[in-house]
Amino acid sequence: MEELMEILQELRPDVDFESEKALITEGILDSFDIVSLVTAVMEHFDIEISPIELIPENFDSVESMFALISRLREE
Amino acid sequence: MGYPQYCVLERLKASALKYPDKVLYNDTAETVTFRQADELSDRIGSFLLSKGVTKRPVVVMTGRSVLTPVCFFGAVKAACFYAPLDHTVPTARMEQVLSVIDADVLIADKSTEGLLPKIGIKGTVYMLEDMLGQEPDQSLLENAWNGLSGDHPLYVIFTSGSSGKPKGVVTSHRALDCYISAVAKVLRLDGTDILGNQSPLDYIAAIRDIYLPLWTGCGTVILPKSSFAIPTELFKLLNSYAVTVLCWSVSGVELCAKLNAFAFGKPQYLRTVIFSGSVINSRYLRAWQDALPGVRFINQYGPTEATASCTYYEVPAPVEADTVLPIGRPYENYRIYLIRKDGTMAPEGELGEICVGGPGLALGYFGAPELTEKSFVPNPLDPSSGELIYRTGDLGSMGPDGLLYFHGRKDRQIKHMGHRIEPDEIESAAKAVEGVDSAYAMYDREKELLYLFYTGSASSKDIVLYFRANMPAFMVPRRLVQLEAMPKLPNGKIDANSLKQHFI
Repeated sequence: MEELMEILQELRPDVDFESEKALITEGILDSFDIVSLVTAVMEHFDIEISPIELIPENFDSVESMFALISRLREE
Repeated sequence: MGYPQYCVLERLKASALKYPDKVLYNDTAETVTFRQADELSDRIGSFLLSKGVTKRPVVVMTGRSVLTPVCFFGAVKAACFYAPLDHTVPTARMEQVLSVIDADVLIADKSTEGLLPKIGIKGTVYMLEDMLGQEPDQSLLENAWNGLSGDHPLYVIFTSGSSGKPKGVVTSHRALDCYISAVAKVLRLDGTDILGNQSPLDYIAAIRDIYLPLWTGCGTVILPKSSFAIPTELFKLLNSYAVTVLCWSVSGVELCAKLNAFAFGKPQYLRTVIFSGSVINSRYLRAWQDALPGVRFINQYGPTEATASCTYYEVPAPVEADTVLPIGRPYENYRIYLIRKDGTMAPEGELGEICVGGPGLALGYFGAPELTEKSFVPNPLDPSSGELIYRTGDLGSMGPDGLLYFHGRKDRQIKHMGHRIEPDEIESAAKAVEGVDSAYAMYDREKELLYLFYTGSASSKDIVLYFRANMPAFMVPRRLVQLEAMPKLPNGKIDANSLKQHFI
């Protein structure tokens, strides 16, 4: 979770990731943030994120992103 | 009643008669037909005229909805020209644009109303919803355009300015007609086509999605911005609205390939994809070509000052990693000259500045005659003709194949996510942050990252927070590097090459 938080804070230091729970739904992260985020996360955690996983439920909060990463690492 | 030749309202009237009940715009929540667009814009135009608002800029700050282009037409019916204001940028940036345009009328809607108290507006604000309640006054509307010609300004659209302030490009009805007529032909559009709009409606790239329907009878679906973060959703939308043509920025096209969107579906109705804004990465174009054989892919080149695009090239075959795409040939009625420093024409294979001539040129920069005079100049190849050409600042060459090739910039201008950025503008913003002594902006094209090198005690977080509060998202540096001192060349200039070592 800490590593993910670091990636996010480097990407968007202006966003309070601890309290925001609708990052995609409310458009806080835009499509270009998503591209950078997905690339960084895949590289850092050595996982593949399929386009099918690119849905708000998986990226709206740090917790949901962490859950996705954990699930993909186990697969 | 008649409008002058080239006037977009003539096209609107004609298409409303020809396709009255056909859907013109669809924003996935609401639709307007051609006739509704004509009738609703009559109301907006009548409202403005009844308040004595005519022949001046009207700022339009409305949401991403079918009514925004209708609002543009309404302003035009009052013989005004519209200045679309992006309400998604920080309020400080909006105020900067407003200070340049200095308009005394602004149109807002329910979705943007909340921003009004946060921005200093000196003029009158009208709410779109109220304007739509106005009864159309045909005699006011008929008189509004008396004595005007197709050279009347249509819109002013803002782009990054090197003085640290955005500059407004003023475009006439005639210039728009020049471009839209030409691109409609290349796209071979007809009434069966549906365009999928990606660009924000205030941005230059949206003029295709807004105006092509009036020329060809096609329709436009305004895709929700959020769908671009969710590729499966995006493709689902393109299919459910049977979208046939995409006029997208290179960054939008690349995005789908980067997110590997084709792994789980594809837009099955597509016939043509036309892209512009920057040089496309062959790898991503190839991903589209492989997924969609039989679809036409067209590369476009051109600045806002030449009404969106001035050259095009249809990609004839799947591209390879090392394919260099030409920018092609001029659109109909555009003229391209490659001019060397000494004012002579660049011979085949040699570099020259890409200069554009023809009726597609903008009228100039809003409220900046000196800047206009510097960029729109007499053609040095034929000074006696009196022809004015626009100097793009881009470098190009003519290949042995008779096609034009793009070779980057004469100056430091950056193309990022489809937007022009003047590094000066980034640097002056950075220097406004307390604790920043000097700043230098650079672009890593390969990684598509905007860098800011700076000296001073400010933290990188302070700087990013300042940018997020004052500048559009595409102008926020993604990598900040604090230096003890700026590396300098013997002539005192900043040593950009040595800064490149910091690119990761």
